[in-house]
Amino acid sequence: MKLNIYRFDPERGDPPRMQAYEVQPEAGDKKLLDLLMRLRVQDDSLSFRRSCREGVCGSDAMNINGRNGLACLTSLDGLKEPIVLRPLPGFPVIRDLIVDMTQFFAHYHSIKPWLINDAPLPERERLQSPTERERLDGLYECILCACCSAFCPSYWWNPDKFIGPSGLLQAYRFIADSRDTASAERLDFLDDVYRLYRCRTIMNCTEVCPKGLSPSHAIERIRLALLRRSS
Amino acid sequence: MRLFDGQRAWLVQRISALLLLVMIVFGVLALPFAPPLDFAAWRAFAGGVLGGPLIALLFGALCAHAWVGMRDIVLDYIQPRGLRLAVLSLIAVVLLGVLVRVLLSLATVALVA
Amino acid sequence: MDRHSRRSPVFLNLAQIRFPVGAIASIAHRVAGVLLFIALPVIALTLDVSLRTEAGFASVRDLLSSPFWLMAGSVLLWALVHHVLAGVRHLLMDVGVGSGLKQARTSARLVLVGAPALTLLFLAWGLS
Repeated sequence: MKLNIYRFDPERGDPPRMQAYEVQPEAGDKKLLDLLMRLRVQDDSLSFRRSCREGVCGSDAMNINGRNGLACLTSLDGLKEPIVLRPLPGFPVIRDLIVDMTQFFAHYHSIKPWLINDAPLPERERLQSPTERERLDGLYECILCACCSAFCPSYWWNPDKFIGPSGLLQAYRFIADSRDTASAERLDFLDDVYRLYRCRTIMNCTEVCPKGLSPSHAIERIRLALLRRSS
Repeated sequence: MRLFDGQRAWLVQRISALLLLVMIVFGVLALPFAPPLDFAAWRAFAGGVLGGPLIALLFGALCAHAWVGMRDIVLDYIQPRGLRLAVLSLIAVVLLGVLVRVLLSLATVALVA
Repeated sequence: MDRHSRRSPVFLNLAQIRFPVGAIASIAHRVAGVLLFIALPVIALTLDVSLRTEAGFASVRDLLSSPFWLMAGSVLLWALVHHVLAGVRHLLMDVGVGSGLKQARTSARLVLVGAPALTLLFLAWGLS
């Protein structure tokens, strides 16, 4: 199979270039990541992140034929050749397909991704009814791979101020949690032209989420929660 | 320039959109039934107690809506502070100019009528 | 910002990114909005001219017989129709109507096709 891959070497100081590769998939090679691992044998200078190889760790996010996705979840059949691989759009490139996620995680931290509840601890755990627990479905599964935020034009233009679809989905995960008592403060924090309201609901995030989640829906719920609060 | 911040801007955009939508839909529906317009009838409508405020409301909603939308575009695409402020000011001047022009026109017609 | 950013390239070539239909509908919404904004002062002046004198009124009424203004008017009409249709789509999605991915794709396609179609329809109706 033919591939065309974005190469950048910070030590050489040359501008990024595209490099053509050809590799023979072997029996059992089903996903793009399988192919990339074979390429590594051919050219061990080729750099990309990978770990769990099954869509749980979220480290092999990249731009595949113009759309963001996880290499380990992208099937080889159906991919148009040459397969064009580029780093996540809008993120600073460290080397080849590896991008700097510092800012992305800073946004994640800014929404306080932990349960806030100052009530005295119960003797055992804080209980949730099945209905309350169901409200977290479609939210807690996010693996922070950044496919969505790196496909969001609003995030491209204001990566330092807009929290981005991933961070907002995570924010709503805690707003929706019956055990969290800081919803009001969380909503206060989000009510801002930049943090939340850069979203124009083009739904690029939902289009590319490899876990099938819908950050745009979470954002819609945050806006409605803000509306309900102020009326 | 934080004339409308966060949720308030979003609300202004949505409410003005609803207002404009209602006016446009009614306008399009009424068009086939409107009598052919001549100068006198047009002036009477624009200077009247119904037409004048309606046109003023239309342009008011238009300008508010345009402000939020254009500001969003500037916040997205223009990052240098000075340039951003200059473009935002230009947009504000244009929209205020439009509003003043329309109100003056309507007032003139209403006073003569 | 951090230790990499000074020398790090950023991949952001919009021509090499495949945009979903929702993004296309949205950028068209934006372009249409800008066109309408540019037209706003012209419309305000036109309103003024049409109210001032009999001759002014007549000149505005006959504006569309000039090919230039007919063209400009048609583009503007498309901008208005697209902006309104896409706007209604967004208002509905705000309250959760059609905000699922499948419905949103369909409605985006509908808006992109419907706007030029409605524009032609309005033009045919207006010119007849």
